[in-house]
Amino acid sequence: MPATNSCLFAGFRMPATSTQTFPSSGRVARAVSSVGILIYLAAVIIAPLSGPPPASGLAQVMLQPFRPLLGALYLGHGYRFFAPDPGPGHSIRWEMSMPDGSTRSGSIPDATSDWPRLLYHRRFMVAEKIASLVPPADAPPEFRALARTDWLPLVKGVAGNLLRSQGGSRVTLAMVEHYLPGPDEVLAGTIEPDMVIPLGTFAPAESLRP
Amino acid sequence: MSRPPSMLAERSRQRGYSPEQPAKQAEEAELGWLAAWADAWSRFWFTPTDPLPLAIIRIFTGAILTWSCLVWLMDTDAFFGTRGWLPPAEVWRMNDQPWQWSWYFAFGSPTAIRVLAGITLIAALLLTLGLATPLAAWIALLGLVSAANRAPLNTFGLDDMLGMLLVGLAIGPSGSRLSLDRRLLAAEQGRGAVSARATVALRLIQVHLCVVYFFSGCGKLFGVTWWEGVAIWGAAANGQYRTLDLTWLAAHPLTINAITLATLFWEVAYVALVWPRLTRRLFLAMAVAVHLGIGLTMGMMEFGLAMITANLAFVPAATWRRLLPNDRPSPTFLTPRTDLA
Repeated sequence: MPATNSCLFAGFRMPATSTQTFPSSGRVARAVSSVGILIYLAAVIIAPLSGPPPASGLAQVMLQPFRPLLGALYLGHGYRFFAPDPGPGHSIRWEMSMPDGSTRSGSIPDATSDWPRLLYHRRFMVAEKIASLVPPADAPPEFRALARTDWLPLVKGVAGNLLRSQGGSRVTLAMVEHYLPGPDEVLAGTIEPDMVIPLGTFAPAESLRP
Repeated sequence: MSRPPSMLAERSRQRGYSPEQPAKQAEEAELGWLAAWADAWSRFWFTPTDPLPLAIIRIFTGAILTWSCLVWLMDTDAFFGTRGWLPPAEVWRMNDQPWQWSWYFAFGSPTAIRVLAGITLIAALLLTLGLATPLAAWIALLGLVSAANRAPLNTFGLDDMLGMLLVGLAIGPSGSRLSLDRRLLAAEQGRGAVSARATVALRLIQVHLCVVYFFSGCGKLFGVTWWEGVAIWGAAANGQYRTLDLTWLAAHPLTINAITLATLFWEVAYVALVWPRLTRRLFLAMAVAVHLGIGLTMGMMEFGLAMITANLAFVPAATWRRLLPNDRPSPTFLTPRTDLA
């Protein structure tokens, strides 16, 4: 039995010499595979290095040649789970006028009707991702106007989906930022109200307009 | 009391500190620094290994993906339709177009969307069972990428992790063990044998997972609440995530501090301390605790299970062989030299 070395790395005991390691694979195959591995590793490291902000200009430049690979394999992620700080949760409140004159209302997501939980979470992401583009109501007007060009097309899509699925004639949407109480507030029972930011009222034609 | 010399020698031998060590160092010095690096690289990536861990990852990933596909199918028009949450013309606002392709861009009709989502579901099922595994793995990967790139408003960490796992499963021989393929093609020469491709696939998952934790941990180091040790409270008190009421933690601030700081340390240090045998079990146990905790308290069980599945890449094949004694490959497949774990 050939001698083996303990490996520093998980779960694998490496043979002592490379001649014992590769009884069948050729040098060319290994070289080609190595290039592929290096490209893959570079891509998955550069993606989170280049975003979300803050990120260096160098990382942005280095990202460019890897964009096709990252896009094609869905690998271009920032990996900032609950970072830098876990923030408040969001939902989109909607109120809809129906063609018969009645009204309906609801929330995206809706914990009572969005089941299973994964479906709830996929709808919850709609509110969370749009919320990341909507500035607070007390932000400077020029900043809010600029941000509106980013979030409005997405909100129109949400309105269009609601009108299509519910058969409504007009829908009013508002972003709700749910107040995140501190431990002291929970103990004292003094929890602030949620913050509501109007997003607009949309008819089917408006929700489709780019 | 000192141990007898023979016991020390035996322990040294078990740890790989053999009398041949100086000779190997001399050989490496002769090879030169660069050649030593190349040799280490080759050994790390291409030492043939038992594909059993990859097969375990395949089963869990396939099952989670199957469930995810069923949920996509519950509201396909909203997720992938032309009048869904995000019309195709607006996808560029969230994606890096044109690179983030999707087969849903080519087919807009409700029937076509359902068929395409169904194809991914079938591929995920086949992947779980290990039937036509290489083809199923690639179609499952393409289906996942298509769904995620078409519906960026609805994706989250679960999809990121499934993508990472599916790349490894598509590259490696993930169907060569614990699979219908193996049962049906048992006579095929070499099936289930140790494989350098299995090593590449497992290593890619291992290294990619370290990248995920490293950047996630570094991102948290920007946050004041992580340094103050209260970030976990922010997750516990968030009513939109909560599935288990943890607001009783408000009365136990030091517990909140301890959980927060332990999570932060574990995530930042994972990239370094999951590799040494001494700390690996601790870090994998913490991974299970953290991700099950997130799953149970924040309603993201699928994400938690996907992360735990990725961590399984660090569990040695020998451990799985002990747990699954009935799935032994032919004795000729695993020689002492190549039984790497």
